[in-house]
Amino acid sequence: MSVTSLPTAAVAASRPKGRRRRRRDLVGLLYVLPAMALVLVFFIVPIGMTAWMSLHNWPLLGLPRFIGLRNYERLWSDAGFWASLRFTLVYTGVATVAIFAVAFPLALLVEKPRPLASLLRTAFFLPVVVGFATAALLWVWLLNTDSGLFSPALQALGITPQRINILGTFDTAFAAIVAMVVWKVAGFTMILLMTGLQGIPADIVEAARIDHAGPLQRFRFITLPLMRRTLGLALILCITGSMLAFDQFYIMVAGGPGNQTLTAVYWIFNQSFVSFRLGYGAALSIVLLAILLVLSLGQLWLLRDREDAR
Amino acid sequence: MHSLKSLLVAATALAGLVLPTLALPASAETLTIWSRSGQGDTLEAVAKAYDDTHADKVSIVTLPVDEFVQKYATAIAAGTAPDAVSLDLIHTPAFAQAGQLEDLTDWAKSLPYFEALSPAHLSVGTYHGRIYGLPLTTETSVLAWNKDLFARAGLDPEKGPKTWAEWKADAAKVTALGGDSRGFYFSGACGGCFIFTFTPLIWASGGDILADEGAKATLDTPQLRGAVDFYRSLVAGGMVPASARTDTGPDFLSIVGGRIGLQSIGASQIGVLINKYPNVHFGVTLIPGPDGGTSSFVGGNNIVVTKGAKSVKAVEAFMAYVYSLEGQRLMVSHGSLPARSDIAAEAMKGQDPRYDVAVAAIKVGRTPYSPVFNDIINSPNGPWAQMVNAAIFGSDPAAAIKDGQARMQDIIDAAR
Amino acid sequence: MSPRRRHGRSRMVAALPTLVGVIVAATFLAPLAWAVLASFRPAAEAAQPPLPPWPTQGFSLDAYRTLDSASGGLWLHAANSGLVAGATVVLSVVVSLFAGYGFSRYRFPLRNTCFVLVMTTMMVPFQSILVPLFILLTHLHLQNTLTGLTLVYVTLQLPFSIFMMRNAFDAVPKEIEEAARIDGVRDLRLLVRVLLPLVMPGVATVAIFAFLNSWNEFLAALIFLSDENKFTLPVLMTAVRAGRFGSIDWGAVQAGVTVMMIPCLVVFLALQRFYIRGLTAGAVK
Repeated sequence: MSVTSLPTAAVAASRPKGRRRRRRDLVGLLYVLPAMALVLVFFIVPIGMTAWMSLHNWPLLGLPRFIGLRNYERLWSDAGFWASLRFTLVYTGVATVAIFAVAFPLALLVEKPRPLASLLRTAFFLPVVVGFATAALLWVWLLNTDSGLFSPALQALGITPQRINILGTFDTAFAAIVAMVVWKVAGFTMILLMTGLQGIPADIVEAARIDHAGPLQRFRFITLPLMRRTLGLALILCITGSMLAFDQFYIMVAGGPGNQTLTAVYWIFNQSFVSFRLGYGAALSIVLLAILLVLSLGQLWLLRDREDAR
Repeated sequence: MHSLKSLLVAATALAGLVLPTLALPASAETLTIWSRSGQGDTLEAVAKAYDDTHADKVSIVTLPVDEFVQKYATAIAAGTAPDAVSLDLIHTPAFAQAGQLEDLTDWAKSLPYFEALSPAHLSVGTYHGRIYGLPLTTETSVLAWNKDLFARAGLDPEKGPKTWAEWKADAAKVTALGGDSRGFYFSGACGGCFIFTFTPLIWASGGDILADEGAKATLDTPQLRGAVDFYRSLVAGGMVPASARTDTGPDFLSIVGGRIGLQSIGASQIGVLINKYPNVHFGVTLIPGPDGGTSSFVGGNNIVVTKGAKSVKAVEAFMAYVYSLEGQRLMVSHGSLPARSDIAAEAMKGQDPRYDVAVAAIKVGRTPYSPVFNDIINSPNGPWAQMVNAAIFGSDPAAAIKDGQARMQDIIDAAR
Repeated sequence: MSPRRRHGRSRMVAALPTLVGVIVAATFLAPLAWAVLASFRPAAEAAQPPLPPWPTQGFSLDAYRTLDSASGGLWLHAANSGLVAGATVVLSVVVSLFAGYGFSRYRFPLRNTCFVLVMTTMMVPFQSILVPLFILLTHLHLQNTLTGLTLVYVTLQLPFSIFMMRNAFDAVPKEIEEAARIDGVRDLRLLVRVLLPLVMPGVATVAIFAFLNSWNEFLAALIFLSDENKFTLPVLMTAVRAGRFGSIDWGAVQAGVTVMMIPCLVVFLALQRFYIRGLTAGAVK
């Protein structure tokens, strides 16, 4: 953000004009005040409480006891948490690649004016408007062994000899969840990428075409670099969403089979609401928040860079 | 947050002082009771009858069973819990241990029929010698079989299995009918279902899963291994639908589909089957042990009163009605078993004879005791659910049992 | 190769992406269509695999009746959800309109800190601040109220909404404001009369997502509300999932998914002509 450009402008202004400007700036503060008040009350304060709780042995029922940093020490040797974090990272990687692998071609498809383009765009986007919990419930049904769609259909088509329980083994369950997430999210990423593609000046592409650059070369050297910021935004939304994944794993497989699909947030949820260890759950939350902040930092730079360039 | 909570308590207390003076003296009190879903409409029916005959009103709020404990505990933490809760009886020790429940000992002991109240409910309702929970609804687990499928498979439709060998033979014959028919069903990823339907096999074999008032996990025993092997053999024989492996509970009552030969169900579901699925003709018997012997899980809900509740008197009045013959009759006709053994026969009069089996199960039944029940047993990610699922469906049952034993003991120790 | 044949082939090549697109689109729409069609099957058919999905033994509203018989009835919960979603939309739009304008046009102290703070909201697992939020709402006497739930939803919406609105204002040329100022239009009047029509696409985008997210959220609703007659639709859905009598009613699940979905589709289709422009102005440039 343009921190550097601000003082020079202010200094350059003459004194009375500067005062007026300062008053005008305070009006700006008024505009953002409602938003900041909400964020303060419903976000900063709870986060502060979470941080405070993380320093306690804080059962959901009963009296809290201050224990300093011991929750954080315990966290180091909590194999379950690190396993859930590892799974979350794997899921984030797989889901992000899968979403982009579907969304990018779709974006290229609907970006150009061609017959049915806007209709197709709407169709691809429709699953986005269904909520995550609703979508998960819908897929629970579709994936059910006996009353669902997929496994009876596989049997009817003769692909499997009998009805198989798709959610019964890790590989198939994981694939099914990724498929559901791609179905649910790809449309949103597609729209973001499409707007990025449309932002690329046509004359640059045309110039490259005249210079005999092949389609792959044009994509690699023109499309991708010029879309860097859009890609950054799409990535940050995709990664943050995946790192915080909970609903689909909670509703569709309850962390199963064999606790192999417990995500970090799921682990925190269990510590806080099943084991009632709020203090420990709070410490885990703070660590996850820190990890997410670090992960997002690089991508935040992309967005920051963008504003300076303007 | 300390000060937040005490401020809150002060505010509530203040409101408590001011509000009654504002209220009209004759106005009826409404008692709100939280209850978990999946329990039929027993409570609603009794509450309605109570409303019709009493000045006070009772309103039942039904909350999703999977999130019930979380919700009640959160509400307690914020000081917004209702005065009375119909709590899954096995959670009573947890809330009593945390000091969040009112001591009901004096009132309970003043009841002339105190000695006749369900001992299972009282055993988990008692913590350090004081009573915090009293029986509200009563439930036992029994083994049901589909008479039509039994007849088609050439089995005696009036005779359920008495040993594991008979159980397996019956299941095999029903499975042999082909098509969608399967001999047996259980919710294979549901800790709460397993404790209800699977531990009776262990108890009937002479084993148990917890000892010393829940201080010791005793999973790695020959009795548990025996019960696991029995279920494994049913799965290996193709007698259990593939969907069982991942059912976290929603499909518990699969027998209603008419394609399942045998299934352990709850007593309250006898009424559900009779009333909602008249086409499913079924019999019930006690859950057998390996070579005879029987057992059952005595479950249901305890009424508990949240610490600091204002309307304890209203709760007592409602419970007195529940325990009356009229109340017990109503409960029975809406799927619960009687909470009082002294008038059980009278309350059950005119009921379907299959209920007799469920009532008989109370005598042979048990209820496990643990202050960390939710954590070790009910949580789908907890050691019990994971252990049974892996032992029955996995490749290495011995390792799964050992692992479950260690994990369960860890949680118990960490909470002490 | 004759020119004509070459022309024919290139037309086929040009049509190929559209063809692929239509197939993919059908795949994307299939699960939705499947649920809607299956929800009209009679109760006896509900547990059968949906092959085909449409009712084969006559059209029936059984599933919707089952859904309606759960707790307070379908309409009550739908009304609660509508109320919460509507209020969330209005508040999100108003708050983010002001904030977006402020962040885009003014340089005040701590501006960047404030903006980063709002964006951080996105990175906190909401589940982990649930208990503090609950205690806070109780303290504010907003626990078990739809108002409290709405305020929480608005806060959760803020990062995306403010980001969108700030960029929407960034895209409006400064000259327009200067011209209006010279004409004597200032402050709120300037914002509402002159700028609002120009950032309408952004507003529509904010409104769509505020509606979708608040209409569909279940965990906070479940924890924060304790009166059955205040429950929103997603809470009803968790009860449907658990099954009232111990066995899941797939018909009720399909009907529930349909009921949850339809308003979202309607809102989206009604506003969709704005949303792409909104995202274009907001996300990229």
